[in-house]
Amino acid sequence: MKGLLKGLGVTLKSMTSKKVTTSYPDEPFVMPDRFRGIQHFEPDKCIVCNQCARVCPTECITLTGKPNPDPEKKGKVIDTYDINFEICILCDLCTEVCPTEAIVMTNNFELSSYSRDELFKDMEWLSTNNKLVRKDNNNIGAPTKGGGK
Amino acid sequence: MGDLLLEQLTWGNALIFFLSAVVLLMIVLGFVTYAIYFERKVIGWMQLRIGPNRVGPFGLLQTVADILKLLLKEDTIPRKADRALFILAPVLAYVPAFAVLAVIPYTDSLYFADLNVGLLYYVALSGITTLAIVLGGWASNNKYALLGGMRSAAQMISYEVPLVISIVGVVMLSGSLNLRTIVAEQGNWFWEWNFLPQIIGFVVFVIAAVSELNRTPFDLPEAESELVAGYHVEYSGFRFAFFMLTEYVYVYAIAALTTILFLGGWHAPAPFLDFVPGLLWFMLKFACIVFFLFWLRATFPRVRVDQLMGFGWKVLLPLAILNVFVTAAYIEFFIKR
Repeated sequence: MKGLLKGLGVTLKSMTSKKVTTSYPDEPFVMPDRFRGIQHFEPDKCIVCNQCARVCPTECITLTGKPNPDPEKKGKVIDTYDINFEICILCDLCTEVCPTEAIVMTNNFELSSYSRDELFKDMEWLSTNNKLVRKDNNNIGAPTKGGGK
Repeated sequence: MGDLLLEQLTWGNALIFFLSAVVLLMIVLGFVTYAIYFERKVIGWMQLRIGPNRVGPFGLLQTVADILKLLLKEDTIPRKADRALFILAPVLAYVPAFAVLAVIPYTDSLYFADLNVGLLYYVALSGITTLAIVLGGWASNNKYALLGGMRSAAQMISYEVPLVISIVGVVMLSGSLNLRTIVAEQGNWFWEWNFLPQIIGFVVFVIAAVSELNRTPFDLPEAESELVAGYHVEYSGFRFAFFMLTEYVYVYAIAALTTILFLGGWHAPAPFLDFVPGLLWFMLKFACIVFFLFWLRATFPRVRVDQLMGFGWKVLLPLAILNVFVTAAYIEFFIKR
């Protein structure tokens, strides 16, 4: 009997308390720091080390490089860089392994589309996805320079 | 309205009666529309949600849109169903629900029928709806619908008994079955209204009424989270809308009846508040009861079937009978007309 009245009190109190509903599609939803969203890619930083493609558990990253157009310089530059978001699980491994922070996470998460083809994102799309880029990409104490043993 | 009822029935008067019935129907439909909206809002707030707010300003047109969608739906009748009864059931459910509203007095002068057995009329007619529910369940030729209908009938019949007996105390105190007289007999101060002298009767009446309305915590026949809808599984579109309408019209009727029997009808809670029109007081009390019903729904879990029947027959009925005897003793020793 007392419990019934108590329950009525609880519901009456929650009637005027703050609501948890957000007006999400009308207002953008702010994600917390270190949210693992759609990657942002900076072609200039990439050294074509292929580590991201190798570490990817779902093998959704494909990349090709080409020789550096400047004959003075050694190494390669990136030619194509694609992520297939049909199978990407946004696990953050590619951004953790990247030695030059060429690929980083953002807070964007809206991937839904009417066609599966639109989920195949190329280098151009990924480099223009430069809003809300995650600021702190390696705060787990990874060595900054000359790491390893 | 009172003088008009005593005049000879002419074509003109019949037209006036007909038009006032249509107006009442419109008011009731408006009430149902916004009761559903209000219910969803209140339950939303109590669950820390906002409730419908997309269709129209503040979501005011949400129910209108829902009803429109319901009416546009295909009207299906199962091939093996008993066609005549299947069509008859929703009509039979709704007609008594609307007919009982005739005896509800809103103020001293605003009422539709001045029946000297008004209360009995209400109880008798509302019993017919139970029949329609069983009929709907049976005619669907669907075992779930039949089970839902049987459950519903068992519940409504066993709670109708304490409901009626809990009113007897009120009837004894005012010495009349006429709803207008019952209101007039209640005093001008709020502690003279029947809900305090008849506190046991009031509590039994409210519980039995909630059960009679098939609303939470007694909504086993429908139990949206565990059963397939109950007696109206096979109904769709317009006919389903009629069953829903019946339910909400009964909410209207029970809220009005509670106001009249226990909360002093159109009386102001204190004599110096008489300058506010009686109709407003009636509406205020009425709205409080409707809100209370929604509040219950947002709060309580559903009771079990075995608890339901036991509670009705072993707790409410003896309490209601006790109330009758206590009231009789009180009248015998203290009032003695």
